[in-house]
Amino acid sequence: MTDLIQLLINGLAIGSVYALAAIGFVIVYSATGVVNFAAGQFVMFGTFAGVAMLLNAQLPWPVGYGAALLAMALFGALFFVVLYLPLRASPVVTIIIGTVAIGITMQNAALLAFGSWPFRLPSPVESVNLTIAGATISGHAVAVVIVTALMVALLWLLFFRTSLGIGMRAVAQDIKAARLMGLKVNRLLALSWILAALLAGIAGLMLGPMWFADTSMGDPIALKAFAATIIGGFGSLPGAIVGGLFVGLSEVLGASYVSSAYKDLISFGIMILFLLVRPQGVFGERIQDRG
Amino acid sequence: MSIRVPLLVGAVILIAGLTLSMLLTDYHLRLLNLAALSAIAVIGLNFAFGYAGLISLGHAAFVGAGAYGVALLTTLFAWSPWLALPAAVAGTAVLAMLIGVPLLRLKGHYLALATLGFNVSFSIVAANWIEVTGGTNGISRIPELQIAGHALTDERSYLWFALLVLAVSAAVAALIHGSRHGRAMIAVRDDETASSMTGIDVPRVKLAAFVLSSVYAAVAGGLFAFHMRFISPEDFGYAHSITYLAMLVVGGEGSIVGAILGALLVTFLPEWLRFLGSAYLAFFGLFVLAILIFLPSGLAGIRRPRSFRRHGLMKWPALVAASKEARP
Repeated sequence: MTDLIQLLINGLAIGSVYALAAIGFVIVYSATGVVNFAAGQFVMFGTFAGVAMLLNAQLPWPVGYGAALLAMALFGALFFVVLYLPLRASPVVTIIIGTVAIGITMQNAALLAFGSWPFRLPSPVESVNLTIAGATISGHAVAVVIVTALMVALLWLLFFRTSLGIGMRAVAQDIKAARLMGLKVNRLLALSWILAALLAGIAGLMLGPMWFADTSMGDPIALKAFAATIIGGFGSLPGAIVGGLFVGLSEVLGASYVSSAYKDLISFGIMILFLLVRPQGVFGERIQDRG
Repeated sequence: MSIRVPLLVGAVILIAGLTLSMLLTDYHLRLLNLAALSAIAVIGLNFAFGYAGLISLGHAAFVGAGAYGVALLTTLFAWSPWLALPAAVAGTAVLAMLIGVPLLRLKGHYLALATLGFNVSFSIVAANWIEVTGGTNGISRIPELQIAGHALTDERSYLWFALLVLAVSAAVAALIHGSRHGRAMIAVRDDETASSMTGIDVPRVKLAAFVLSSVYAAVAGGLFAFHMRFISPEDFGYAHSITYLAMLVVGGEGSIVGAILGALLVTFLPEWLRFLGSAYLAFFGLFVLAILIFLPSGLAGIRRPRSFRRHGLMKWPALVAASKEARP
């Protein structure tokens, strides 16, 4: 029982990170139609922004986290200008290959800057340990779940209670109509990329203390985020959260109860099953047949 | 289409390759071998993606199925390589059919992510089913190919053989492109509803394109196994699927010549960027991005008129020009 509680909390913590990465991916997809294969590298950049600010520059953690997130926001804006603007009229596959190409550049740029030796990113609450029903739970895991819940609440407020967020949803729904209504479409699109980069940054900063910070960590995260989006439903924010938590839990529980070698096969198997039986996922977009 | 074009394509590949094989060092011959094998796989991917418009991110898994099939048949069951290769190709085709029937109902990025999931699953199984695949240690001691008692062990003679297979593959692909079946695939890519209205069996054409692409992939994989004589799961990860797709997009999708040019360029590019030292992979990504932005119809599109757009949809001036060219 104590094992189970521990596993559940750890699964929820890693699942929260996947959920945040998946939310960033979904925001960009629904606003701009871009399937961002560099989404995992965004998270990796987030972790390494943390490494740069907290370990290399030795900033105290509130300043370091702020600086890291600022860097991520700038990076999101840069990505919008360098990749999205030139390629926005291209076919889906060209954009997919473009994000993959940028992802290769990002990973190798990080490798050049930080080397292949993994870092250990500290957590501000790492000395805190909680005991619940005899199970020892790391404070960081609990903090991750709380921060994710807060972020989801903030996102909900942004999208449903501010004119900025409503504008972003309008652009996601129909760009032409939004432009005709006088919305500054490009600015809102750029904001979607910045928001995605910020969420990836938060995911990366929280992931750093759980995994080792390694420049090749991006690809596995991207795959988990894809599985989460498919299971939850492509283009759906609640779906990304449910999918992310599901993938995290299935990974942690699968590793200890089924087989640690095949733990990833569980989430991908379920992802393919969903694609076959219910491709719109749990909460997903209605799939149209564009004939 | 007349038989001339495929013959010409094949002849050019052989002549250019034979000339190069006399000039290059062993290391570059090895790269050229890899490029030729990739080109076979990419010509296959061109059926699925370039003609039928199916975004497959699982092509490397089919290359891997061919390679593992050949490796297992020759090492575990001691089959002759010449018997193992067609058996592995046939097995891969059956696998592609089993995968294709359910997955090809999906479209666009759903299909892309489903095939990606298939490729990742393939890698996980290949890396963990140790009793059969040897896990991450892979399979070594794959026998070499022999032609009339002459073993293809050195890079130059293997290249001659690989070029011959590439030339035949390209010629067959050009024939299919010009046939009713090739046109049916292209029609399905351009407009599914319209092509099913004209009596094309859309699911069947899609499945045919997918299986055909896996056959080419398996041939490339089998030859890869006989060339390296050692295979391991990381040779067939999903990153390789993306590389194949990048080769096709960089070369120019829907074009056999483009598939070959793309395979050559993407294989040799890291080599040419070596002067950048350890930063070369970072520039490789930027270079591919630059091609996507500035040459939207790929290398093969350079000689085409501007109005001949990426989708193969022609604007009317190009259409008029093309119909004039077609007259004798």
